[in-house]
Amino acid sequence: MRSGRLYARATTFDRLLKPVHSWIWGNVERRVQKLLRFSEIEIDGGRDILRAAELTSDPVLRRLYLEHAIDEFRHGLMFRQRAGSVLRELPLRSNRMFQLDWPAPGGHGLDDLQIEKESDGSLLAFLHLSEKAAASRFTIYRDVMQHDPPTRAIFAEILNDERFHMNYTLTHLVRVAPERHRRHLWRARLSRLWKGYLRLATALASAIGTLILTIQYFTVLPPFAWFAKRAARRESPGWFPVSSERNGSLRRQY
Amino acid sequence: MNILGISAHYHDSAAALVIDGIPFCAVQEERLSRHKGDAAFPLLAIEWCLEHAGLEPDALDAVVFYERPMLKFDRILTCALRAFPHSWRTFPKAMKNTLGEKVWMRGIISSRLGIPGKKVLFTEHHQSHAAATFLTAPTSCAAILTADGVGEWATLSIGRGEQNANGATEISLLREIRFPHSLGMLYSTFTAYLGFRVNEDEYKVMGLAGYGRPTMVDKVRQMIHRTSDGGFSLDLDYFEYHTTARRSYSERFIDLFGPPRDPYTPIDLKTADGARFADCAASIQQVLGDTLVEIAQSLHQETALPDLCLGGGVALNGVANARILAESGFERLFVPPAPGDAGCALGAALYADRIYFGNPHREIADHPFWGPSIDGNDLARIAQEDGHLVDQLDDRLLIDQIADDLASGRIVGWMDGALEFGPRALGHRSILAAPHAIETRDQLNREIKFREEFRPFAPVAPIEAADKYFELTPGGKRLSRFMSGVFPVRPEWRSRLQAITHIDGTARLQSLERVMAPRLYSLLEAYGQRTGIPVLLNTSFNLAGEPIVNRVAEGYSTFLRSGIDVLVAGQTRVTKRSSVRRKEEARA
Repeated sequence: MRSGRLYARATTFDRLLKPVHSWIWGNVERRVQKLLRFSEIEIDGGRDILRAAELTSDPVLRRLYLEHAIDEFRHGLMFRQRAGSVLRELPLRSNRMFQLDWPAPGGHGLDDLQIEKESDGSLLAFLHLSEKAAASRFTIYRDVMQHDPPTRAIFAEILNDERFHMNYTLTHLVRVAPERHRRHLWRARLSRLWKGYLRLATALASAIGTLILTIQYFTVLPPFAWFAKRAARRESPGWFPVSSERNGSLRRQY
Repeated sequence: MNILGISAHYHDSAAALVIDGIPFCAVQEERLSRHKGDAAFPLLAIEWCLEHAGLEPDALDAVVFYERPMLKFDRILTCALRAFPHSWRTFPKAMKNTLGEKVWMRGIISSRLGIPGKKVLFTEHHQSHAAATFLTAPTSCAAILTADGVGEWATLSIGRGEQNANGATEISLLREIRFPHSLGMLYSTFTAYLGFRVNEDEYKVMGLAGYGRPTMVDKVRQMIHRTSDGGFSLDLDYFEYHTTARRSYSERFIDLFGPPRDPYTPIDLKTADGARFADCAASIQQVLGDTLVEIAQSLHQETALPDLCLGGGVALNGVANARILAESGFERLFVPPAPGDAGCALGAALYADRIYFGNPHREIADHPFWGPSIDGNDLARIAQEDGHLVDQLDDRLLIDQIADDLASGRIVGWMDGALEFGPRALGHRSILAAPHAIETRDQLNREIKFREEFRPFAPVAPIEAADKYFELTPGGKRLSRFMSGVFPVRPEWRSRLQAITHIDGTARLQSLERVMAPRLYSLLEAYGQRTGIPVLLNTSFNLAGEPIVNRVAEGYSTFLRSGIDVLVAGQTRVTKRSSVRRKEEARA
């Protein structure tokens, strides 16, 4: 396999979700949130890949990883700057941008990659699939951003880089693991599935936890809140003496 | 006796190992995980400490966590109750966050390290700060002042420490100010208002303050009141940090100071808004300094001691520190190299050793170099693989060559020996440059550190020469040992020290003793012989948003990604074959 053979193309699944993406990106506040989230993901990813560059013993991969990391940092900066520009264009800043525990989008950074524990083969397989998935998604984003040419231009530019990343990762995966590259790819696919499940499960658990705790907040806490407020009113401001007992035992946690 | 100290879960987690009463090693998790300000349980740091000492976990006599988790939970829950019903959004997050892991520290430490729970001990957060500053300072009796955002309940505490003639050590905290009244949170609120990241960018506020005038001091004083007992309280109507995690200032705060800064827009000091933000920074800096000085003055009168040990995150404020030294009446001010939460790992371990186990006092080496070491041969290998120019020279030749590099305007990445513990690069992981021209500062900000133009750079000078170039108050040489104080550059030298002279004529000096970093000291001498001024610009070896480099590979990747001209690790000197390989070339 040679670089340049793969092209960024949206998967059927992503194409089916196009109306959803149009809806998400159509709202300015959601767009800012997404851009900021992407910025974080790209920078996280860049950090992971930089770590790979620092750890690999393969000089060629070291240079490529370094280039890749620089690209990711640049993408992060582009997303962040664009989010800033969109924010500045908003007539009235809303303080109510949603900040719920949505499932974190897939990306190298948030997949909790432990670079130290990965071989070059498994890392290249992981990166290849991540870049491929990102390229598929970014193709759709580029297509639904007709109403926002600057953001569309960012996706178009990043797509170019993603193509390079997809290609070099596959080419060098074949080079470093000629006999086992398919196995690496399958393992990476399964790992991505598992991590996707974990993200979903975590988000669901978090949402359920939030709901239960909110119900408890309004049903159980009011009398305790009354006592706490009364105690706070009685507290005088300024210094509190520290009892000598507190300078003593280290066994207790309170 | 082997005691491991741990700090974690708020920001900047760390581990420190004390063996027979002496620090053996200490490292922040971020330096190993490469996640800036990493607050996770410091497993990598612990593993490195144990491996470095050749110990298995069961050889540890105690593991000390730097605060009391249940007491902290008590504060979080109480604050949520007090803020009812406004805390309904914060409450679930806070509970999930705390109950998910943070309150179960005994079990977590016990299971992660495979040690019995009875070996796990807990100090209070401000006890850890107090121990970190007093037990590492070369003094036998001192007043102690600790101040930060918040620990369990305490946000500021005062006390005293003493080493008795029989070798026993005593640390007594006498009084404390409690959350939500907090100098650290007050400063952090302005950090957020000025569009910077809380718990990370407070030093930017300090840098920005130099560009402003304290025209809003009266407004800041509306928010902080001195109490009749000499303490202080905040007017909580101006804040929201105690009720919500969404933001730290209230609408009333905005009414008072105007719209907050958009974090995505660079500060333009030529605009009215830019000037307002600078004045805001100058005003909070003034009030912070005034309040700390007054508290320190009263502590000095109360204790009549000549020495003050200062700890907690607020002690990173070099401008306030210099004022405390000059105005409080204390003759000497000790600030450890890691006064923040990372340093609490060392403080907690030392507290357990001296106070809990009652071991006698031991002299502690007065330096910050407790982390992993580098090997210059590693750099030679990877740089040769990449075709860069590599020289391996003996020390004398290397120092001369680097002095020549610096004198000719090259920027040098300098890695030497063991990594610093704490946020400052003090000569083992530094970027060094000539301090003379303003263009050097701008180049460093633009091409290497990729950061705001208003940010100043610090100088390093031999301790014997520091007085010649900087106006040091009595005790200033000690305070500047770990770059903890900001002092005026002497007016006659400012034109020749432009790159390290801040807009207000000051600099955050490191005065270096030969014994602390002998190779850097020799380099300063060699540079002085060439230029007549033995002063160098010394900034931390990292890029914006990244932790200070630890290993050679990290220094090397930073070197390749930035405009650093020369990289030195041990005896190895590397210069770039060309600038970073062009993308097209790499892709070909």
